[in-house]
Amino acid sequence: MLIYQTVELFFAREGALEKNKGVVDVVAEKVWKFFSSVKLAVVLLIILAIVSIIGTVIQQNEAPEKYLQEYSQATVQLFEVLGLFDMYHTWWFVLFLVLLTTNLTVCTLERFPHTLKIIMAPLKPVDDEGLKALPFKREIAFKGGADKAEVRAVNALSARRYRVVEARGAGGAQFMTQKGVYSRLGVYITHSSIILIFVGALIGSFFGFKAFLNLPEGRATDVVYLRNEPMWDRMMAALGIAESPVIPDPQGGVPAMPLGFYVYCDNFDVDYYVNPAGMPTGMPSEYHSTLSVYDKNKQKIFDKRIRVNDPLTYRGVTFYQASYGAMPEVRGKVVLNIRPKNEPLSAGETVAIDPGGAVYVASIDRTIKALGFAPYGVRDETGKVVLYQSENNEFINPAVQLEIYKGKKPVYKTEILKIDQGQPYLPEDYVIKYAGFWGARYTGLQVTKDPGVWVVYTGFILLCIGPLIAFFGSHKKFWVRVQDRKGHTVITLAGSANRNRIGFEREFNTIADEIAK
Amino acid sequence: MKSSLLINIATLSYLAAMVLYISYVAFRKKGLGLAASGVTYFGFGVQTIALFLRWRESYQMDIGRVPLSNLYESLIFYTWSTVLIYIVVEYKYKARVFGAFVMPVAFLALAFINVAGISADITPLVPALKSNWLFYHVLVSFLGYAAFGVAFAVSMVYLLMDAKEKAPTAHMLYGMGAMVVLALIGNYMASAGQKTVFWLGLGALVLAWFIYLIVAGAKNKSQVFLFWSLCVTMAIALLAGMGIDFLYLVAFEHLAEGESLKKHLFEATFLNPSLFVVLLSWAAVLALFWLIWSKAMRLQEILKPYSPAQDQLDDVTYRMIAIGWPLLTGGIITGAVWANSAWGTYWGWDPKETWSLITWFIYAIYLHSRYVRGWKGTQMIVISAVGFLAVIFTYLGVNLVLSGLHSYGGMN
Ligand code: HEM
Repeated sequence: MLIYQTVELFFAREGALEKNKGVVDVVAEKVWKFFSSVKLAVVLLIILAIVSIIGTVIQQNEAPEKYLQEYSQATVQLFEVLGLFDMYHTWWFVLFLVLLTTNLTVCTLERFPHTLKIIMAPLKPVDDEGLKALPFKREIAFKGGADKAEVRAVNALSARRYRVVEARGAGGAQFMTQKGVYSRLGVYITHSSIILIFVGALIGSFFGFKAFLNLPEGRATDVVYLRNEPMWDRMMAALGIAESPVIPDPQGGVPAMPLGFYVYCDNFDVDYYVNPAGMPTGMPSEYHSTLSVYDKNKQKIFDKRIRVNDPLTYRGVTFYQASYGAMPEVRGKVVLNIRPKNEPLSAGETVAIDPGGAVYVASIDRTIKALGFAPYGVRDETGKVVLYQSENNEFINPAVQLEIYKGKKPVYKTEILKIDQGQPYLPEDYVIKYAGFWGARYTGLQVTKDPGVWVVYTGFILLCIGPLIAFFGSHKKFWVRVQDRKGHTVITLAGSANRNRIGFEREFNTIADEIAK
Repeated sequence: MKSSLLINIATLSYLAAMVLYISYVAFRKKGLGLAASGVTYFGFGVQTIALFLRWRESYQMDIGRVPLSNLYESLIFYTWSTVLIYIVVEYKYKARVFGAFVMPVAFLALAFINVAGISADITPLVPALKSNWLFYHVLVSFLGYAAFGVAFAVSMVYLLMDAKEKAPTAHMLYGMGAMVVLALIGNYMASAGQKTVFWLGLGALVLAWFIYLIVAGAKNKSQVFLFWSLCVTMAIALLAGMGIDFLYLVAFEHLAEGESLKKHLFEATFLNPSLFVVLLSWAAVLALFWLIWSKAMRLQEILKPYSPAQDQLDDVTYRMIAIGWPLLTGGIITGAVWANSAWGTYWGWDPKETWSLITWFIYAIYLHSRYVRGWKGTQMIVISAVGFLAVIFTYLGVNLVLSGLHSYGGMN
């Protein structure tokens, strides 16, 4: 009830303002009126719908040469001036979004107190005038007396979960009930969700950044390379208030953003779909990297194996698996897992060998020399390993050639495949498994910080709920009047609903029929 | 049983339903209407089973994913949703007349895609598409599109019944002339390397016309009538074009296993390498336009005894949009969440995203237009129709006309 009184007060003050208005008030009122109109909303939505099309027809953020191929010099210049090559970030496009949000905010402030009043106000009995204004009404002649009539009417409503309130006046008894008042909030939930999303997006562009990082296996970094600098840092730096943490590139290249911690790439790999025979098809099924996070003092904090759609987040910074690539100038290491026969993989010993180099493996008392590495090998029916060319040297099914020594004496040669259809030639009592070719590739990470995302997501949730309440809820009211007219009992049923009138009419008629029955 | 066989049965059922609904409208026999509904329910049931079977098949092939990730599967799902929503509307409004409009869409869409289009391959997903969000994204969007499709069909009935007389012949000839001139200009500009400029100009023209219709539609009924004829022509031409592609490519040329039909969309007609075929197709479109324009009043007369009152049509349109819009909202949101989980950006303004937002704006305009004084009836219906044109463009145009980055465009 307190809220209700406050609302009344609000309206009272508005009335007082009316009397002594200065120029400022008049202008302010005009501006307020302008921004509270639904017509403006429709106009803005039309404008937004139309101008958004431009950026889908003209490719955005392409290289200048590409534009010159497609358009004449003059056209390119014109588009450049209008900002059409990065349209969605131009001041005028953002201005339309700001106007829409303002429109929405003002509209909400304008109408919400009124709605609140409706929600808070208790139902009042209607008089004859009020009855006339109601869209649905029916008079029912009732045989059986006023008491029975009242019971009948109240039961019909209660059975549909209406909580009936009674008011007795001079004209006889009246019963009132309403349902779904809160459905009036649906529109406000919807509208505020849009405001939230907009605010969240602003927070993101002010305090967040988008960056990338190409991190080789076995390397760590504490900076990422910016695509978008946080607007806040730029503003503070421009105003001379605070220095931007961003480190510019002395050669004028991409600036770097310090993270305040280290990320280390333990490992990157690609999995491929396999064909029915169990061999990789060359069509990637998953990219994944194992990343570790170290604090400033190089203490390990945790690690995570990230995949596309499953990123790593630390202190608000999120690392997404985005791409990968080879570093032809770096020689990787062949990684093998060696274990006694019939033991599980975990029992094995892992060794890393430079191609051409050799390593002594104590558990089997042999020295293993890596003769060569190939990214794509398949064992044919005769047991011979055939090497294939793979596009971009992708590690579709890596093959390594090994020579095993006992002391200085070569024992045998063999080939190990990542996925093998047959058996590698291993005359002795142990198993050698391919475990990777390490250090010659980098993982391409998309790095973002977006402190506004939770505000946006809250907006998303509200935007899912709001319209449902607005469209499918309905504020329904019923009034029942029981009168004695010259010895006959007459029940008057009346009602109204703020939406879905067809549905309400059906409900109204069923209730009326039930009372009349 | 293979899902593709069931899809064939569903297609045939929809064909039968289409014939029955149209005969029901033409001959006014109640029995025909009942039979039409029965056949529709049957086809729908069969298609539902097919959807689940296909899902299971993908698991048996060890790929295990929801049948919603390429154009064919999504089209099938789209038809399914459309029929579902239609069945609900028919039940709620006890009006079978819409069936004569909705079932041809369902049948032609299925005919276009079924047999080879889907039996070809269940392809595995690229890593970025392996996300539950993607599933919800596609599911919810398509349900929304289906509701909009039904709204569009109802809107078309409304506009037809709204017409007092057909537009003057001169207007129709201007309309045809405009199409021919635009086609010539487009062809010329495309050969001069000015494709984008042409599309921008064409877009501006079309938009100006739409706005004129929305603002002044209530007064200028003959323009609205032209709009109606064009919408119906376009809908039929698109569906027929796909149907011909299907026959031509799948039945006669035998598409290579796993090759995407999408790449060849409209290759048998509007995008044929032979200029003759292209001209012929356009001539057919013009002829169709003329036929629709000239027979409209006859059609109106036939429909009159069945068509619900105009304000009821208005109500159905509103309700379909009240269902479709929250679904589209959900679709856009789940898409954004998916993008954020895949690459850390919930909104990237890529053409497909942007077009779904444009569609969303248009239906938001529709929802608010009730609160603008003087906008009702015809104008709102025009907005709803324009909204569906935007849906079609989001679905097909972005890939065919604009170069999309979205999954369907990027994958194949
Ligand atoms: C993208 C922006 C917007 C969205 C998504 C949106 C959404 C909605 C929805 C879903 C409804 C319910 C419609 C219905 O019941 O049929 C609605 C109603 C309404 N909207 Fe918006 N709206 C937006 C912007 C605006 C703006 C800028 C205004 C400013 C005037 C506005 C004013 C209204 C009003 C007055 C109603 C009717 C409320 C009532 O039924 O009492 N909307 N809006």
